[in-house]
Amino acid sequence: MIDKNRRNFFKTSALFGTVALGASATAKAAPENILSDDRKGVLVDVTHCIGCRSCEWACQTAHDLPADKIHDYHDREVFKEFRRPNNDSYTVVNEFENPNNELLPINVKYQCMHCDRPACVSACIVGAFTKKEDGSVVWNTDMCIGCRYCMVACPFQIPTFDYHKAIQPDIHKCDFCYKRTQEGKLPACVEICPVEALVYGPRTEIIRVAKHRIKRAPNKYLDHIYGEDEVGGTSWVYLSGVDFQTLKFPKHGTKTAPGVSESIQHGLFAYFVPPIALYAWLGGIMWVSKRKNAKQANEEKI
Amino acid sequence: MEHEVPQQVKHKFFTPGVIVLLIIALNGIVFIAGRFLFGLGAVTNLDQQYPWGIWIGIDVAAGVALAAGGFISAAIGHILHKDAYHSIVRPALLTAMLGYTFVAFGVFIDIGRWYFIWHPLVMWNPNSALFEVGICVIIYLSVLYIEFLPIVTERFIGKLNMKGIFSFLNKPLDKLLRALDSGLSKTMFVFIIAGVVLSSLHQSSLGTLMIIAGDKMHPLWQTPILPLLFLISAVAVGLPMVIFESLLASKSFKLKPEFSLLSRLGNYVGPILGVYLSFKIGDMVIRESFVHLVPMDLPAIMFLIEMIVGVVIPMIIFLTPLTSKSVSWLFWASSMVIFGVLLNRINNFIIAYNAPYALEAYIPSYGEISVTLGAASMLILLYRFIVINFPVISLPAPSGVHNSNK
Amino acid sequence: MLRYITMISALLLGAVIIFALAPDAIEQQKKDPVTMGGTVKQVQKVKEGSMPADHDKQAIDCKSCHYCEYPTVSNPCLISCPRTDMVSVHHDPSEGPEIVIMDMLPGEWGAVAFTHKLHAEMAEMSGGCASCHHYNTTGPVLKCVTCHEPKRNREDISVPDLEAAYHRQCITCHRQWSRTTDCDYCHFEKGIDADKARKIKMEKYAGKGHPVVLEPERVVYDTDYEKGPKVTFFHDEHVKLFKIDCATCHHDENCMKCHDVRLDKLRTPKDRDYTVKTHKSFDDHHQPCISCHEKDNCVKCHLNTVMERFNHYKITGFDLTKYHDKIACNKCHIGNDYKVKLNSNCMSCHSATFKPGKFNHNNVGFQLDELHADLDCSDCHAGNNFMVAPKCADCHDDFAYPNKRPGKKLMLPNRN
Repeated sequence: MIDKNRRNFFKTSALFGTVALGASATAKAAPENILSDDRKGVLVDVTHCIGCRSCEWACQTAHDLPADKIHDYHDREVFKEFRRPNNDSYTVVNEFENPNNELLPINVKYQCMHCDRPACVSACIVGAFTKKEDGSVVWNTDMCIGCRYCMVACPFQIPTFDYHKAIQPDIHKCDFCYKRTQEGKLPACVEICPVEALVYGPRTEIIRVAKHRIKRAPNKYLDHIYGEDEVGGTSWVYLSGVDFQTLKFPKHGTKTAPGVSESIQHGLFAYFVPPIALYAWLGGIMWVSKRKNAKQANEEKI
Repeated sequence: MEHEVPQQVKHKFFTPGVIVLLIIALNGIVFIAGRFLFGLGAVTNLDQQYPWGIWIGIDVAAGVALAAGGFISAAIGHILHKDAYHSIVRPALLTAMLGYTFVAFGVFIDIGRWYFIWHPLVMWNPNSALFEVGICVIIYLSVLYIEFLPIVTERFIGKLNMKGIFSFLNKPLDKLLRALDSGLSKTMFVFIIAGVVLSSLHQSSLGTLMIIAGDKMHPLWQTPILPLLFLISAVAVGLPMVIFESLLASKSFKLKPEFSLLSRLGNYVGPILGVYLSFKIGDMVIRESFVHLVPMDLPAIMFLIEMIVGVVIPMIIFLTPLTSKSVSWLFWASSMVIFGVLLNRINNFIIAYNAPYALEAYIPSYGEISVTLGAASMLILLYRFIVINFPVISLPAPSGVHNSNK
Repeated sequence: MLRYITMISALLLGAVIIFALAPDAIEQQKKDPVTMGGTVKQVQKVKEGSMPADHDKQAIDCKSCHYCEYPTVSNPCLISCPRTDMVSVHHDPSEGPEIVIMDMLPGEWGAVAFTHKLHAEMAEMSGGCASCHHYNTTGPVLKCVTCHEPKRNREDISVPDLEAAYHRQCITCHRQWSRTTDCDYCHFEKGIDADKARKIKMEKYAGKGHPVVLEPERVVYDTDYEKGPKVTFFHDEHVKLFKIDCATCHHDENCMKCHDVRLDKLRTPKDRDYTVKTHKSFDDHHQPCISCHEKDNCVKCHLNTVMERFNHYKITGFDLTKYHDKIACNKCHIGNDYKVKLNSNCMSCHSATFKPGKFNHNNVGFQLDELHADLDCSDCHAGNNFMVAPKCADCHDDFAYPNKRPGKKLMLPNRN
């Protein structure tokens, strides 16, 4: 009985191991996460933004979201309260007091920053998020299971969710107008901005332009390009004349958002070695303890 | 020593307490129906700032931790072959099985697209801690059901006695059960070890989950060693959970508590809590996160309650001989550990999560609390139903009856 | 009728603001390094014949525009805009067009008829033409589209596109004034063609211009400085006497200085002694004064009371009002050293001009007849002391000035 059990033990262990190895081989189907050299970016120059909210209108229209007439968007009453991107508006403009000139309030547009090393891509349980070659972070809504882990992971609190839909609730966020840019068009917000507070172009060029603006007008700008290094760099970068924290940007270091989490994951699952080793170790203990017990039982019988 | 074998508990199902639990469960079911009919927003207080609430914090995260009794007792009973503890293995297995079932259920109602719950099985993202938790929980749940199968076969082999038109099925079904039983008994060790491995993996990965939230998580909890802390705390809560259930079950069914066995188990708890405490304090010292205790705000107070009531006091009690002398000391010390881990999971997933743009704090809605309580009630009811109908709890063997399958 | 007037005046006032912030940007550009990141970015092609006609007559360093030693027409190696140095030629507002129609860009809205002359007049108060024409070659005034591409989706993103260039110039001021970003503030509806737009605008603004800005005589600032909260600034002296160019101080000014929407009224120079409280940094406040008053300490300007106007006669006994009130101080006080007391003897300064036959006595209201014209100065002015008017009786016993004079009495030329 014992011998038979032991033989079984090895046989079945081998079988299990093969299955595990097979699984590890297919585990390479990770989400697409490209960091291409000529990825695009947008420079948001907060000092130029006039708060006309045309970008909000353009975004709504480009994404087939409910939109009022563009004229209604010029209403500045909405600035009375701080707004965030929502599941029916992917970009919003907020207003802050200008400490230097109360007649020129500071308007700031918010949307997905399109991180170079996005937390959502790393976090998504089904790998629905993708960092594309052009720098955009987009997601495949057909894969989404609605777990909202991307919302937990996002360092900028950007993805939003249809809480009031019972069927097919979706994640929503700025998609960098992926469809439009693939057709050679500009992102809708960049195209409509009357003062070109948003400049679209290769990210390297964007950073160069931003640095030059700071150099040309050191009194006007803070010597800081928000997003150049934050969370490992973002596709959208910001220039401002006042501290970014007063504009309600989160204070981030240069560490990438998924950094530690991914290293832990990869450490625990490095080619499935640690789990298999644990399995083998426990199996060994089980085998030894079982034999000891059996011996004792035999001795007792004798 | 009296010979004990697992057998059905002879007790009636309905008691006043059971009725109360049924009402709570029904109340929960009403809100679950609401969630499926009108969406998450109709029932929960979740919003764009607080994507996760108590369904994840308590039903899932705490649920997984509190079901740790299953893999701890499996490790002690089967892998280390401490035969003395065999009587705790089946109740712990049942708790784990039910616990994980309700974890899966919690996930099922919490995710927006519940009908795509199978997606992680075919769509893999190995970078995601949640993916790993999901996959491990799915496999482990299957393993738990397989581990529980012998109890089902034991219950029905030779006892199938369906009447009427189904009577012709009795024989072939009995044959099937026997085949299943013999097959399982040969391969069970594979599943038992797999269960322990899978548990260790996802218990720790549950800790990795919140690491990606980065700055959004309060520094008193946010640390790269979260997975280790989660694993140790899961191990630490496993035995108290077994003790707690066993004492509660014996009280509920008016059985003699297995005090000596349980208090021997309790001896392991103190040192494990000590290890946990030393890791936690070491981490706080290294990262200097203790400065965040100074403002004495809500997170700091919750942290102190968690550490003092949930870790330090029970550790001291378990390290003294008190727990081997008195049932109530053992019960309350175990309860405190369970409370501590429960609070730790709530703290990690809810209190520590600092939504950067939230205008007001997240407070679970009546619906959310109802569903959580309802699920817990259903779990207890199911446990009661199963121990009454299946051989789970070990009782003194009736004279002349020897269970051949054990 | 009243509505019509209100509307017109609102538009006028709004227009005043247009250049308000632009000079800021220009000032910044002046200080700029040559090109972006110190490297020359791209070569601008110059169309055949588009080179300024008086190109070679300009007294400007070639390197202001060209980065190579020998630029040619086919390869002018122009430094890309905006360049370090501003090369802008001042023109009179009347030289430019009355109205500029902007209808190059497609879009939701129709043309903008820009009242160029009116704005140019307003610009005269601050940065002049360069407020908008912030970079220009030496030749004719360039159109915006020369540098600013009319396409948003373009290769070179270092320079704003045409739409942005227009809007930044206009909206920055107009939004402060009207607190709105409504398009119809400037734009005509789609469908109104250029000619019609021009006509409508011309009718509205015919003969209208910005009123001449009256300078305040003095401004009193209320400051936080405890030891001397009042700072009195004599504007007229600084302009007339010290000949300080307006832009030296008013370089980053905006129209709000006078058109204060917060006070909901026009601040006119009639409120001569209005007190001014502004939110600027310490440096911003003091820089305009300190750049000249670098050697003075705080109490030079900061007093407990409003400062009295400087009176040369009261302090030195030398009355400037008669003949010296239009002379810059440093003409006499060489090196701006006012502590050294100057010799009040006329000859100490005028030795070259106060010579017999050369000095025109008409200037002092007295015409010498030919009998006296040949006399030596010292014959009448004993010891060449011109401070004291000679008396007839000093030479003539029988003549008593002023009843009898050696010449004709003249009316002094009106000096005011």
